Amino acid sequence: MHDAELALLSNYLVVGAILFGLGVIGFLSRRNMIVMFLAVEMMLQGVSLSLVAWGRFYNDLAGQVLVLFIIALAACEAALALALIVVLFRRRGTLDVIAWQDLREADQPPYAEEALPEEPAELPPRWPRLTPAGVPPEIPREQTDYRPHV
Amino acid sequence: MFEIKTLLVLIPALPLAAFVVTAALGKKVLRQRSHVPLVAALAAAFLASLGLLAQVYRQSQPAADAGPASGHEAAGYEKIVPLWTWAVVDHAYTAGERGLLAGPAESRDFHVDVVLRADTLTAVMLAAVTLVSLLVAVYSIGYMHGDPGYWRFFTYIALFVFSMAMLVSVSNFVLLYVFWEAVGLCSYLLIGFWFQKPEAAAAGKKAFLVNRVGDFGFALGVFLIWITYGTLNFHDVKVAPDPRAPGRTVVYHDPADVQNAKVAGTQIGGVLGRTTLAAMAERPQLYHGAALAAICLLLMLGACGKSAQLPLHVWLPDAMEGPTPVSALIHAATMVTAGVYMLARCAPLFAASPQARQIVAVIGGATALMAAIVAVTQTDLKRILAYSTISQLGYMFLAMGTGTVLGIAAGMFHLVTHAFFKALLFLGAGSVMHATGGEIDIRRLGGLRRAMPVTCATFLIGALGLAGIVPLAGFWSKDAILLAVRQQSAAGPGSTLYAALYLAALFTALLTAFYSFRAFFVTFYGPTRIPPETAHHAHESPRVMTVPLVLLAVGTVVVGALLEWNRVLENFLARTPSISFLEAAAHAAQPETGFDWSIAGWSTLVAAAGIALAGALYLAAPGLLGQLTAAMKAVGLYGLSAGKFFFDQAYGLAIVRPLEGLARLSAWADRVVIDGLVDRIGGLPPALGSWLRPFQPGLVPFYALAMLLGLLVLLGTMLI
Repeated sequence: MHDAELALLSNYLVVGAILFGLGVIGFLSRRNMIVMFLAVEMMLQGVSLSLVAWGRFYNDLAGQVLVLFIIALAACEAALALALIVVLFRRRGTLDVIAWQDLREADQPPYAEEALPEEPAELPPRWPRLTPAGVPPEIPREQTDYRPHV
Repeated sequence: MFEIKTLLVLIPALPLAAFVVTAALGKKVLRQRSHVPLVAALAAAFLASLGLLAQVYRQSQPAADAGPASGHEAAGYEKIVPLWTWAVVDHAYTAGERGLLAGPAESRDFHVDVVLRADTLTAVMLAAVTLVSLLVAVYSIGYMHGDPGYWRFFTYIALFVFSMAMLVSVSNFVLLYVFWEAVGLCSYLLIGFWFQKPEAAAAGKKAFLVNRVGDFGFALGVFLIWITYGTLNFHDVKVAPDPRAPGRTVVYHDPADVQNAKVAGTQIGGVLGRTTLAAMAERPQLYHGAALAAICLLLMLGACGKSAQLPLHVWLPDAMEGPTPVSALIHAATMVTAGVYMLARCAPLFAASPQARQIVAVIGGATALMAAIVAVTQTDLKRILAYSTISQLGYMFLAMGTGTVLGIAAGMFHLVTHAFFKALLFLGAGSVMHATGGEIDIRRLGGLRRAMPVTCATFLIGALGLAGIVPLAGFWSKDAILLAVRQQSAAGPGSTLYAALYLAALFTALLTAFYSFRAFFVTFYGPTRIPPETAHHAHESPRVMTVPLVLLAVGTVVVGALLEWNRVLENFLARTPSISFLEAAAHAAQPETGFDWSIAGWSTLVAAAGIALAGALYLAAPGLLGQLTAAMKAVGLYGLSAGKFFFDQAYGLAIVRPLEGLARLSAWADRVVIDGLVDRIGGLPPALGSWLRPFQPGLVPFYALAMLLGLLVLLGTMLI
């Protein structure tokens, strides 16, 4: 009985640790703010999972209750963080955190992007030319401004 | 009727209250009514001082049934009013080891109490100070009208009158020093009243710095008194164990407690107390030491600074940059006489030290002569009066230098009369300035008697009083001084010296008459000359200014004869214990002197000659003036007089320049050495910071990595 419980616990803990580690790696290696935020969420889930597992192991509901709180708080935090990211994006027009590196000490040299190796220019896709049929789809003006790549 | 104690406290307390009220409310509430508290307080204080004078007069009369003062006991009257204890240092002095009072070793506390005294000298000074202050305050209502600093002016004046009243009524050298400095402060503030004017600011600074020299001497004198006497009180006190606090002592000041056996305790003889005076009379040889001579000379240095005597007189002419009522009140009638008051107060010390006394007399005589010579060629009306003040203060010093009751009474007499006529002259000069838009160069004025009849008449009375024409104030007091000096020249130590000083004083009287009437004739007679830019404005001053002038003129006419009559002032002052001691000593040696007709004749003659000369040169024969000036220029005397004996230049060369050099050197050392060191030390934190600064590159992943590594290090240490 006890051994079975322990084995079950260690399974959950391993999954939680994997989640947490993936989150850390993601946070350190990505520069897109939304992705970094998702990585942080993932770390949170890993910790929550191990909390639930320990609560189950000790037959103590406090672990689950705590996780409920974490989920509620994570929701609030997500709302705040996404709002902040929107503001930051409006300021710089990009989600890259490196765009905010001028918050460094005044006399420090800026971080220079390493020049990426030149990739051969991809040829523009060649769409088949068809005769227009019917009315062209109407795309609202603000939508094209907001999503310049569309 | 009020008791002496109430009156004595009331006289300084009223101006103090006026000071507090004006300082608190003057700027925002009272504004152009700022004079109200001061004038009311001074009127009340003057009445109180009259009451005090009457009470002291009544109490100081010797009881009819008492016999003549027995032996060496100092007769006279003093009332000591202790208020509260200011400072106590336990076991500060061991009597018997050092000083005059050889005897069994005995430990004493340094005990400074706030103690006032009422005696005849104080009563006379208080009456003179409050009366002149009152009149000048009323005059200032008109003179200072519309000045942006109106409330400030009356605040300072109130503080000054408080300090001056305390100065003359304290009974302790420490408090004397404190209020000595306080009046100096008021003088500084009022000289620099128009502080935006560079000359006024510089004059205030000069007065303060020159006074520092004298005050330093005074302070040393006070220290030496403490070492020599073991007390700083003027009066005797009795020290007894405190019944309420065991191990501590309580000091009894009241003469009734001290003399009666009512309180058991150790009696400590004050510097001017009856015990010390009796000991001085019994064992005079004990007191003729170098210590006493040094004390006297140091006190005299202090008096020279405050009373503008050689060689510290240079601040007073510059002090005329202040408003004219200030010149009248502080720099003519009251504050500058503080030195004379101190010499009169310390008369027994000077009586015991003939050398110091003679030095005082020489300084007084030399200052009187020097200042009178300078006053002859000045062209600035207020400067003439300033040098005249210095000269008259020299007369008072000369009188104090005789060291006799006659001399001291004469000096105090001259102090009182001088307060009247010199305040009158200054206020008259202020009235002229008020009318002509601040013009005080007498070469640009003339014939003002038509425009300003009241000012002219009162100025004439003041000038006659200063010149010493019978029966005005100056005549009586100057004759009293001449008489005292001539009496000393008859016999005794330094009789030749006093004879020379007598001749110098007579010659000074001639010059006095000449310069005062030169100023009068040039300003008020001759062709009408008014600066063209203010010609429409030349008019008689308002009533609020002319009434004090008239009152002071009346005072100048009557006060001399009033106080001379029946020698009332001399007899009154002789009721001060320290002066009555001199009288007891003098009665044995010198015969009673009455009114001296020969001195009266001589002084009237020289005064008349001076006036006649001034009239001849400036009204009748201007050609003669040119010839005389040329002759004097040829001798070099004219340049010496116009250049004020080159004291300022000499001090500039000998003292100011080297000190400026030292100041520059210090400034350089401060800038380069000290500031340099501080800058170096101040450079350390930035250097440290520049080393740590790369850890903030502004890259969020770097921060995250640093956090993670730090966390790992922490976990690692926990595992280990």
